[in-house]
Amino acid sequence: MNKGVIALIEVKDLTKKFGPHIAVDNISFTVNDGEIVGFLGPNGAGKTTTMNMMTGFLSATEGSIRINGYDILDEPIKAKKQLGYLPDVPPVYGDMTVEEYLSFVCDLKGIKKSKRADMLNEIALTVQIKDVYKRLVKNLSKGYRQRVGLAQALVGFPEVLILDEPTVGLDPKQIIEMRALIKKLGEKHTVILSSHILSEVSAVCDRVMIINKGRIVATDTTEGLSNKAGNSMQLVTIKGDGYTACDKLDEWADIKSARVVSDNGDGTFDIKVTGRESIDIRELIFNTLANENIPILCLKPTALNLEEAFLKVINGELEDSEALNVHMVEGTDEREAE
Amino acid sequence: MSAIFKKEIMTYFKTVTGYGFLGFFVLITGYFFVSQNIVAANANYNETLAGSMIMFLILVPVLTMRLFAEEARQKTDQLLYAAPIKVTDIVIGKFLAAAALMLIGIVITLVFPYLLSRSGQLAWGMTFVGMLGYFMMGMCLISVGIFISVLTDNQIVAAAATFASVFLLLMMDNISSSAPISVGSSVVFLALAVAAIALTVYSGTKNITVSGIFAIIGYVIMGVLYFINPNIYDGVIVKVLSWFSVLSRFENFYMGILSVSDVVYYITFTCAFLYFTVNVIEKRRWS
Repeated sequence: MNKGVIALIEVKDLTKKFGPHIAVDNISFTVNDGEIVGFLGPNGAGKTTTMNMMTGFLSATEGSIRINGYDILDEPIKAKKQLGYLPDVPPVYGDMTVEEYLSFVCDLKGIKKSKRADMLNEIALTVQIKDVYKRLVKNLSKGYRQRVGLAQALVGFPEVLILDEPTVGLDPKQIIEMRALIKKLGEKHTVILSSHILSEVSAVCDRVMIINKGRIVATDTTEGLSNKAGNSMQLVTIKGDGYTACDKLDEWADIKSARVVSDNGDGTFDIKVTGRESIDIRELIFNTLANENIPILCLKPTALNLEEAFLKVINGELEDSEALNVHMVEGTDEREAE
Repeated sequence: MSAIFKKEIMTYFKTVTGYGFLGFFVLITGYFFVSQNIVAANANYNETLAGSMIMFLILVPVLTMRLFAEEARQKTDQLLYAAPIKVTDIVIGKFLAAAALMLIGIVITLVFPYLLSRSGQLAWGMTFVGMLGYFMMGMCLISVGIFISVLTDNQIVAAAATFASVFLLLMMDNISSSAPISVGSSVVFLALAVAAIALTVYSGTKNITVSGIFAIIGYVIMGVLYFINPNIYDGVIVKVLSWFSVLSRFENFYMGILSVSDVVYYITFTCAFLYFTVNVIEKRRWS
């Protein structure tokens, strides 16, 4: 099969209403085989609702979801066989040992007895739960419970893994381990994860969908988002006259604006240079100022980090990712003015 | 289905529930056996069965309160509903596990009629029919308990509501015999019932026209029936209430009479409540 180009998950015009409240508002997206996609959004944005619909736990008010070609409503059993789901609270039974729990999940997913031992062994090694295998789940730490939850999702090695906020409640070390684990799982599975932590999504995912108030407000590759946010705005510390420098920089078409931010009083100036969208202006700044014989003491991207861009997007101040750049700049200015 | 069944049986015996249930079951049955059969020097084991039925008040909630309420509280229901199995299989698996526990209790207490048969004449056929009725009545009450358990995520609430429902069902004979039988009361009762159905339709469809049509059709049928023959309204309340009297259906079994209609009644009753349970779960997904 020609893998890599198949749309493994197709979501079309998905809407979910709870009474008058619209939790998910007409969203459509596809996820291709082998991708790691992040759902990013604040609490209550509709991430969990969307995931619950994709797993068949909830049904959609309108729209359709196809998992590997199977519609979740028309052929729920076949569609669910393609899925492994880790909800926001790991669905584990305190009274069972890890071993009993996983063997119950095997029963539930109809895994053949002959395949079980090897499969569970491999899963236990992958998520590192071998040392707690015989212990009762209720005595495990949150981190281990999360891993047992993940192990459950992995049973049957489904094509698609859906992970709802997989790192919430873990300590920093566990978070790093969990991210590494998700990356590793992404090599064999298609992963959709949700998070309200941006750095997490950018560390793990190939592609990000920012979702707010039930709508997808921006979607882009992780590189795309950081490029847009990253190199187009630079804070430059120079030795010499800042105003001359700004005038010179302003002459370039690729540079939208150059302004003095502060006169440090010791013959150095901080100036802020903003480029046109998605253009790396660092070389241009260097060459221009070198020609003017103005030494650059420091050059650093001050672009809004993704976190701030994200906040802007979800506050509804941005319509789409195209506008990201323009507004981001203003956003920073406002912050600095405060 | 078998996965759920195995898991529930395992949970019963991993916790104190399974042992507590069986211990209590045998203890109470034993008490009635001593008082009804041994002290009274009576060889009719069905006396014991009829007497010990009172323990369903406690034992049915113990069996069923956890089944769905605890899944909802622990959020493990997401695992079950996202798994590649049908909701019906989940409900039936849980029901069968509770039923199996009750069956184990009944099998253990077979030792009592055996003791009777050793020291006297025991009508085994009559005893088995009695036990069948006893078991089937247990199934009815368990299905009601399961239905209540799916409505809440709090075990205690589920237990209390199940206790109250089992109490009402066991008392239904008394209640229905004291219900009014006049035509007027029947009309009021039916009018309320039609209104309740219309409201249910409205809560399901949110469509005032459809539910209005339901109500109007209901009242028109009532009016036409009254016009044709007002006597059919005699004792409607009693008839309806006695339909729910699971205990009165036990009387034939108690006398050793295996009547098809009673068996069908018990099976219908059980299936109806299991069906309601499945529907509540499915409806929750859609709301």
